[in-house]
Amino acid sequence: MSDLGLTISTASGERPRRRRKVDAFPYLLLAPAALMMIIVNLVPIVQGFRMSLLKLNQYTLSQFMDAPFIGLRNYRGVLFDPTNPVHSGMLGALRNTALYSLLVTVCAVAIGLGVALLLNRDFPGKALARTLLMLPWVVPTYVVGTLWGFMWQRDEGIINHVLVDVLHLMDHKPFWLIGSNTFFAIVIPTVWRAWPVLMLIFLAALQAVPEELYEAARLDGANAWQRFRNITLPSLMPVIVIQVMFQIIDNIYSYNIVAMMFGKGAGYPGEWGDLLMPLLTRQSFSYWRFGEGAAVSFVMMAVMLVFVALWMRTFRRSMTSEA
Amino acid sequence: MARRCAAGVVLGLAAASAGAVELTMWVMPVTTNAQHDIPDLLAPWLAQHPDVHVRVTVLDWESGWNKITAAAASRRGPDLLELGTTWMPAIAAMGGLEPLTPAQLAQVDNGAPYYPELWKTTQVFGRNGVYGLPWYADVRAAFYRTDVFRQAGVDPAQAFSSWDAFHAALRKINGQSVAGKRVAALAYAGKNDWNVVHNLAPWIWNAGGDMLSADARRSALSTPQALRAIDFYSSLAVEGLVPSNALEKDSDILEGAWVGGDYGVIFSGPWLMRRIFESPPGSVVRSNFDVAPYPAGPHGHATFFGGSNLAIFKGSRHKAEAWELVKYLGGKAPQVQLALVSSMMPARIDAANDPAWTSRHPAYAKLTAIAADGRAYPPIPAWGPLETVYTKHLGQLAELTAGIGDKYGAPAMKALIADTVTEADKVLEEAN
Repeated sequence: MSDLGLTISTASGERPRRRRKVDAFPYLLLAPAALMMIIVNLVPIVQGFRMSLLKLNQYTLSQFMDAPFIGLRNYRGVLFDPTNPVHSGMLGALRNTALYSLLVTVCAVAIGLGVALLLNRDFPGKALARTLLMLPWVVPTYVVGTLWGFMWQRDEGIINHVLVDVLHLMDHKPFWLIGSNTFFAIVIPTVWRAWPVLMLIFLAALQAVPEELYEAARLDGANAWQRFRNITLPSLMPVIVIQVMFQIIDNIYSYNIVAMMFGKGAGYPGEWGDLLMPLLTRQSFSYWRFGEGAAVSFVMMAVMLVFVALWMRTFRRSMTSEA
Repeated sequence: MARRCAAGVVLGLAAASAGAVELTMWVMPVTTNAQHDIPDLLAPWLAQHPDVHVRVTVLDWESGWNKITAAAASRRGPDLLELGTTWMPAIAAMGGLEPLTPAQLAQVDNGAPYYPELWKTTQVFGRNGVYGLPWYADVRAAFYRTDVFRQAGVDPAQAFSSWDAFHAALRKINGQSVAGKRVAALAYAGKNDWNVVHNLAPWIWNAGGDMLSADARRSALSTPQALRAIDFYSSLAVEGLVPSNALEKDSDILEGAWVGGDYGVIFSGPWLMRRIFESPPGSVVRSNFDVAPYPAGPHGHATFFGGSNLAIFKGSRHKAEAWELVKYLGGKAPQVQLALVSSMMPARIDAANDPAWTSRHPAYAKLTAIAADGRAYPPIPAWGPLETVYTKHLGQLAELTAGIGDKYGAPAMKALIADTVTEADKVLEEAN
């Protein structure tokens, strides 16, 4: 026990005092990190919340935090006023973001897990294969958006060339950057970049599963599917649950790929490509509606906190290896 | 920050001497080598002002806006700065700029040497005060392939005389094969481009419409004249005179493709001249192009007039010296010098007619002539957000005209414009 232990009182009144020793040393170790968190996170969050209650726009920006206080009017405007410029297109962006997050998460986790299972065996060149498969993840998202923007070009892009001229999967070259295909034009590069790191994490988790479990299962006559379902999947579940949550959060906050692929004009990719973060950036910063932008940010943060709390509560047991 | 430091250049005396003044100046990358060209531009003035240093920081158009607005809000910024013509009213309305005094205005003949439309952009619509001097101009014109027109039997003088004549000319040149290359009639970009509004505005003006109502309080895009212009402009893509794959590209790519010989006509600005002359000496376009005004509509052939102005920052501690430098750069010789290295047009009428500019190639003289019909947007503080609204919605014309499904038609276009006007009016409402 440390010498820094403190004694604190936990009882009151006439009842006999029960004393509990609290070790202060861990708190001292945590203090610098906590202080930094307060400075870089909590202070801006509080300031952001204050901004969301102000009429802070192009005409009041020079007053900044002294801009007129308008209570919850920004929240009402962005959530319920269909004529509010920040609200415009929000339902479409909400729909796209939900579909995008779901699709990217499912595909990236499925591909990452599948490839991890394939790589979790010995074969010549395994290390090289693993390194090469990680390459998409090394590419920054800004570069991914720019590169895929060229690759999706209808006539000059390599994707239509492969689909139509090489593989003959289609009889004509479709537009990917115009119309409803825009949605796939942002989903596919995101999946392309996301799955390798998931593969690496799943591979590390797979290598921690005791081989004895598989040997015992084989002796008991379990086939490959039964071994996967009863040993591999439960063993990976803590990792999968956490990674799915991270993926959903990342994808809901996704910005870079859309911004780079469609950011040369107003940054509006169209009805099927607009996501919440590009919408928020465009319609609060480009429109100079900072108070309303702060309000939307807080709504998103609240929704995300609720989601994370529900997720953690639902999968609490799955997140422990004892489950 | 590192980027700023890397872009900073200190000019003048090498070491600070007693009483020396250091001016800070923010500029945009007006030339391809602004780090070198701006110091050259300032050298004669610095020679006459040995006690002044100028620290030049070259911003970029992407981040420049955020940096300038942050400076205007905090009152901490440079002594003088370059501002895009559509940015100036917003920064002036924020109180970020020092208005010119009557004495200073008298020194520049109350703006008489400058194009009146550009002089207008140094002010704020409906208010008194002038906040700077025009520095250089962006003027748009039709750049066309003379060889393609000749082969198709189209007379350029006739082709740009009316919308109908232009339409007929495009139909004739579309698909012409020159030097083994099939040429599409016209190129313009779709939603992923910063020129969406600038490309459309001249058509709207020439149809008798406008971007805003006369009092600048409401959007005017739903007037019959504006709708007619938007319909005509869009119908060129629907008809295939603008190839649909152009609609997924941006202006920069299309200009490169035009120089490469892919298109017959493109609407662009003076910077395209530099690109043409940077193409290989034997390139077809280099020796077979000319410049024409926008096709005349029912109400004339106005063109988009933009560019940049120079202003003194409100928080400057050296306003007198800053004004001397602004006044110098607003003069004829420096404007000609800048035009020669930047390929942007001078903002002064005498500089734009100077032989050093006009004699470089006949097209430069034509750009100067076209500038007489230049027209700028109303200098309202809300133009920035309004332009984003317009770009966002009008860029969606590409979704209608690219030939996906069967979307294009009067109802779809009217619905799109109605959405544009609703959102634009809301933005303007806040400004009033």
